[in-house]
Amino acid sequence: MSKTIMITGGSKGLGRALALGFAKQRHRIAVCARGERELKAVQKEIEAIGAEVIALQADVSRIHEIEKFVSVVEDKFGSVDVLINNASVFGPGPKQLLDYDHEQFLQVLKVNCMNPFLVTKRVLPGMIANRSGSIINLTSEAGHTGFAEWGAYGVSKFAVEGLTQTWADEVADYSIRINMVDPGEMDTDMHDRAVPDCDYQLAKPEERLDVFFYLASDESRNRNGERFEADGFLREAPLNE
Amino acid sequence: MSDLLTAFEIPEHLHASSPIERRGLDRDQVRMMLLDPVSGRRAHTNFRNIVDTFQAGDVLVLNQSRTIPSSLQASGTNGEVEVRLARKIDDHRFEVLLVGKQYKEGEKLYFQDGLFAVVEKGGSEYPLQVLKFKLSGMSLIEYIYDHGSPIYYEYVEDPWPLNDYQNVYSSTPGSIEMASAGRAFTWGTITELEQKGVKICYITLHTSLSYYENDRWPSPSSHPEPYTIPQETVTVINKAKQEGRQVAAVGTTVVRALESAFKNGQLTKQDSVLTYLYINQEHSLKVVDALLTGFHEPEASHLDLLTAFVKHEILIEAYHEAIEQQYLWHEFGDMNLIIPGRL
Repeated sequence: MSKTIMITGGSKGLGRALALGFAKQRHRIAVCARGERELKAVQKEIEAIGAEVIALQADVSRIHEIEKFVSVVEDKFGSVDVLINNASVFGPGPKQLLDYDHEQFLQVLKVNCMNPFLVTKRVLPGMIANRSGSIINLTSEAGHTGFAEWGAYGVSKFAVEGLTQTWADEVADYSIRINMVDPGEMDTDMHDRAVPDCDYQLAKPEERLDVFFYLASDESRNRNGERFEADGFLREAPLNE
Repeated sequence: MSDLLTAFEIPEHLHASSPIERRGLDRDQVRMMLLDPVSGRRAHTNFRNIVDTFQAGDVLVLNQSRTIPSSLQASGTNGEVEVRLARKIDDHRFEVLLVGKQYKEGEKLYFQDGLFAVVEKGGSEYPLQVLKFKLSGMSLIEYIYDHGSPIYYEYVEDPWPLNDYQNVYSSTPGSIEMASAGRAFTWGTITELEQKGVKICYITLHTSLSYYENDRWPSPSSHPEPYTIPQETVTVINKAKQEGRQVAAVGTTVVRALESAFKNGQLTKQDSVLTYLYINQEHSLKVVDALLTGFHEPEASHLDLLTAFVKHEILIEAYHEAIEQQYLWHEFGDMNLIIPGRL
């Protein structure tokens, strides 16, 4: 059945791949991003596939832009069935914490941690009223292992993992699940920034979508508060069922 | 209009001018008057104690409509004007109140960033008018979110952000003013109620304007509001009524929706239909047994609706006591739970 899939940071990298991947399955797509040009390009690609799409320029670290984005989507599509909190930034670096500017540290936390908090807070009431919904937060290996020079990004992903577990526990009785996915290393702009001069082969974002399809589907309705690794998901999933 | 009109006056200092959170407290720390509509007995407590009043099997119905930023600024031949949206008619059109002014049919109003609208005709009642906007659909909604603000009445201290005009459980955007009876709820309270066995269910009714300025108030029978009642809510409530459980409405909007949808002896599913139902003392309540509501101005039609639950004399006594007890009025104010047999 067709669902409304909301993806933040949907104009490039994994967000774009997710938007196109779900569009091919004929779901309704709602994407936002800060960059209008890239966003409009994704919108055209989705329309060419034949899926319904709302693409709206928004900075999801700002509460009024979240209110507008989610309200426009609810007004047009009626509800949000799946939320993928994908938008995040790496911030300055690689750089040691002692060299980190405190304002930049705060800004990374705001974008990476406040935004999934605020978007989820806005979307959850509708899911609770419907007694249905799936929220997927993006984490990283750096979200449970501290790596030198990954700065505020790693710290923010620790926060995202805590946020996911806390919220998952709070919504467990409403038939809503909140899980997190570590997509692994991929060939993206963010990876270029985090690992400059990378000299090994990287996966394409399009190769890491299966776990998201699973978590968006009703098959995963009993999975809540878990951490999934996208790399090798297909091989491992049957063992967990 | 109510003959309660001259029955009481609200002292200036009892108009709640700010959200309780801005005073360093939580939403659910507002005060609450319990009123038994039959005996007239009253008790004074804190909203946080609402869980104690309900019993397992009771049904609490919430209006999940979310407030939209409904006040826009425009200019026209009569100068600057505040445009208050009253109701969305279709993708292009809103019924609006042009505050303090009337424009002729065919006249244009100019908004920021090149948007304009044409006055098409009169609205569902004077002084409302119908505007056709140049933008439509999603573009118009986006414009409203970019440029609009909540409607601020004169007792409000500061231009609080839109987020202060939302209930924690609100989701579907469309209300012109906050369905404020639910404002005191926190998720903590809702969770406690559910753990106690109280059934929580939802309707959507998008509120229209509650006041037309210059001492003019909507006439309820000319005051269409769109509402939706999902099947799940219908099932829960019909079962509860069969079992003789209490159904409590959170807000007059919920009462209006539920009573409008009672057909052939039971509650029925509705999807985005308009209600014109005027509930007053003549109305025999079919679905709702108890009502959580704020404190209303003597002129407001909400007060007429309350007389479907409680006799004039008892209501007036209770309101006099509320004033003596310094309860706060309006959307940021205190609560009144009218519930039979629980005091």
